Amino acid sequence: MRRDIGCNHIDHQLSRRGFVAGSAAGAVAIGGLLTPAQAEAVKSGQKRILQVFLQGGLSQFESWDPKPGTRYGGPFRAIPTSVPGIHICELMPHIAQRMHRLSIVRSLDLKTNDHRIGRLRIEKGRTAGDFPYVGAVASKYLAAENPPLPGYLHITTRGLEDNTNAFLGAQHAQLKLLGVNAPENLDRPASLDEESAQRRNEFRRLANERFAGRGGQPAFTEAFDSSFEMARRLMKRKSLFEQEPSAKDIERYGSHPFGVRCILARELLSNGATCVKVTHHGYDTHAENFNFHLEQLDEFDKTFCMLLDDLHDSGMLESTLVLIYSEFGRTPKLNQRYGRDHWGASVSVALGGCGIVPGAVVGSTNAEGTEVAEREVSGGDLFHTYFRALGLDTSANHDIPGRPVPIGDPAASPIEELLA
Amino acid sequence: MLTRRFTTIVAIAGLSLACVRLPDNALGANIENVPAPPLLAESVSAVAASPDAGEPTLRARLDELVVAATPNFASLASPRSSDEEFVRRVYLDLAGTIPTGTQTREFLANQSPKKREQLINQLLASPQHARRLQYVFDEMLMERRVGTDVPDADWQRWLRESFRENKPWDQLVTEILSADGVDEQQRPAAKFFLDRKFDVDLITRDIGRVFLGVDLECAQCHDHPSIDDYLQRHYYGLSAFLKRSYLFTDPKTKKKVLGEKAEGDVKFTSVFTAEEGQTDPRVLDLPGIPDPEPAKELYIAKPASKVRGVPAYSRRLQLAKAMIAADNVDFRHNIVNRLWALMIGRGLVEPLDIRHSDNPPSHPEVLDLLADEFQRHNYNVRWLLRELALSETYQRSSRLAVDSEQGGDASAAFACGHLKPLSPEQFGWSSLVATGFSTVTMSAQEAALLKAEPEAAANKKVDPLWREETLHKALKPELDLVVARFAGQGGQKTGFDATADQALFVINGANVEKWLKPQGGVLTDRLLKLDSPELLAEELYISILSRSPAEDETAAVTSYLDSVSDRTMAIREITWALLSSAEFRFNH
Repeated sequence: MRRDIGCNHIDHQLSRRGFVAGSAAGAVAIGGLLTPAQAEAVKSGQKRILQVFLQGGLSQFESWDPKPGTRYGGPFRAIPTSVPGIHICELMPHIAQRMHRLSIVRSLDLKTNDHRIGRLRIEKGRTAGDFPYVGAVASKYLAAENPPLPGYLHITTRGLEDNTNAFLGAQHAQLKLLGVNAPENLDRPASLDEESAQRRNEFRRLANERFAGRGGQPAFTEAFDSSFEMARRLMKRKSLFEQEPSAKDIERYGSHPFGVRCILARELLSNGATCVKVTHHGYDTHAENFNFHLEQLDEFDKTFCMLLDDLHDSGMLESTLVLIYSEFGRTPKLNQRYGRDHWGASVSVALGGCGIVPGAVVGSTNAEGTEVAEREVSGGDLFHTYFRALGLDTSANHDIPGRPVPIGDPAASPIEELLA
Repeated sequence: MLTRRFTTIVAIAGLSLACVRLPDNALGANIENVPAPPLLAESVSAVAASPDAGEPTLRARLDELVVAATPNFASLASPRSSDEEFVRRVYLDLAGTIPTGTQTREFLANQSPKKREQLINQLLASPQHARRLQYVFDEMLMERRVGTDVPDADWQRWLRESFRENKPWDQLVTEILSADGVDEQQRPAAKFFLDRKFDVDLITRDIGRVFLGVDLECAQCHDHPSIDDYLQRHYYGLSAFLKRSYLFTDPKTKKKVLGEKAEGDVKFTSVFTAEEGQTDPRVLDLPGIPDPEPAKELYIAKPASKVRGVPAYSRRLQLAKAMIAADNVDFRHNIVNRLWALMIGRGLVEPLDIRHSDNPPSHPEVLDLLADEFQRHNYNVRWLLRELALSETYQRSSRLAVDSEQGGDASAAFACGHLKPLSPEQFGWSSLVATGFSTVTMSAQEAALLKAEPEAAANKKVDPLWREETLHKALKPELDLVVARFAGQGGQKTGFDATADQALFVINGANVEKWLKPQGGVLTDRLLKLDSPELLAEELYISILSRSPAEDETAAVTSYLDSVSDRTMAIREITWALLSSAEFRFNH
């Protein structure tokens, strides 16, 4: 295993204070239903989300909330960052240099140690029930009228099948891209010209209209229709998947799967995608927690920073909300296999970009990192924060007829101190 | 263990013998122009109903309970399905594919008032039914894992043969949970363990989900935080059956098998409360199974580096007994819920593997009834599927009798037929049947047989089993491609998820292109030879959607053909349009 620690100025005498910059100024909440005009206004600015999902459960100790020299702290040190007073684990030296573009929440309590429930809580911002994922909400309210790409793209190796769009239209469900492979079959067969393709598709559409509404499960036929609609759009954007990453990109991002996926994510975001989620697999470190984090974060840290730099340099970061999260964190206590197990009680996440005060730390855990000490935050609070940062009134109801469902959990509220 | 297994076999001997005979009358679901042999419908119902002498049938009782469970049921209820709806549905559910045009026409023309029952019997006895259940149970038990130590083909054959002989569910599970991989005959059954690498945590969780309908994953580390019923001791009670066992590589064959130690107890600590617990092997809340007084010799074969451990008393071999024991109600609830979901489209408990007191069954009386009767009928899978298929609940139309706003209510009350997304295998087979590709392939196989074995050919080619196996083998490459594209996360489920890449497979894929190419008697070729647009529309709709076109549909086909100068192209286009339609994609 190669250790690549870019920063050598390691500070052992850490003064750990919550560094909170910025204020809640500028965030305006409008109660009531989100009108189509408001939704349109939000859309016209074309904001977007980059989600980096560290699947399996990133250890908060080995990342955003290091506790060196304490009982559960593990072997790694904390290093200072570009923001005075903020220290993060030495496994993320590149991020340390860019801390002024991101903020950390160290006091998330998800109240579950279950992969699925943790993921649902952080994606849906609800403790239970059938609600849309962040990406589906983004697709619904942030995407352009006729978006050139499906609103919610998920670049992953595998992927759980989930009802990501819940009651929002199935066109807002995630489209899984397996790695950087272009979806196969983007080319029309040689025997078929464009006119024939349209003609036969029209016949198909009429047949489907006739069938719709069967069995009391309209979501099924909608999902089916939307898969064809997505296919059509993707055919039009085929070239996106075909460009070989440049040698320079490969050198910067890395040639490993996560590297080339982040390059694709950048391309998709630059070409009209609304929410791109990139999954980095392999954080469920029930055994050999430290070795695995060393390896995983070595890959994640630099690659993610290249993507962050590119978004910043192109000016897109201002309109792109960046989220780094897992389904939970990891236990303070080590198990017999030097592993850390599932831990939802004191989790860290990082975020930055559009509408987020940079260089801030929200909340803290106690000295040994076994529980939240200050400013407990829930998945629902984060969900409000994300969409408020993107300019959406999360206290408004969803724009769906006959269903007064608030966009954000009414029992939760945005983290005002993070809103720029 | 052996004694118990033999007991089971003896108990169901009467049933199995009768059922095993049924393949005599099997019909080839993919076979055209082979007349269905005479039916044994009467004997099936006589045998299947024998424990009930004089009592109301299960189907009648469940229908009654379903109606009674919803006060406004009558106002929500869709009428009985039409024959066209029914024939497609029952072929898909029992034989795994849509019927051919010929089979559909034959059924529609049949005037017998008992024709639905006859068709159900016929399909249940066909080799296609065993294949269908092989697919279903492979997915349920192995969840589309990549095979490692037990070849998929061996396992699938074992499953298929088990369903062909209608092996009772308790016996099938006993064989799976008792297999150690040593005996070659029983080695396929060891796939459940061996292809999970005997990872005790994974197996514990999957035993809970697959055989008991509870997901104890969280209870591995602590009592479940949000589900009061799932306790850490439930998890460790199950894993205690397995903890002494381990993977052993046979030095001669190099194959992985299971060995077991004679000692070792399961202790656990909650990560929340640091409370410690200890448990004997046990199934959920049933009593623990303490080890007997240790024998003088702990081992039949003492574990060593080249010796597979075989203890005098095996904890692992207690698992199957405890699982199928009469007091283990969850075992019965789980399987009848899964078979119900398979036929009806949604479980009485949903999700299928998360049953607990805050997620109770929607129709508890129905679940209890099915579980009790299934047990009373010796876990006879074919009997239960037959009762379900014969029920009014199953046979209701999926066309809503109410406004779409009430569609969800009707669906939740089981007052209408549900949409069931075709499984990848159903979708593949149905596409091959609809496009006529399977018929053409079968003819080619018959011709090859005639050439290779001119003497035996006449008898062989009318043997339903030969036909099924031959056609399956010939079309496997086509089918595998479809399955690879359409199979998502494994495991039995009732939801639906459609992806753009699946749509692209249908829109641009080379396979679909090939199936639609008008040559050698496939559907598009047959359509080309029909001059009348009415006949063409009829053949098209019967072949793909298993129904005749409505007047406006015939008109639409006619005007399509009129408007396109290239007739061949026009035929390919409309055939594609129906093959890619929602009506084709779902069982309804």
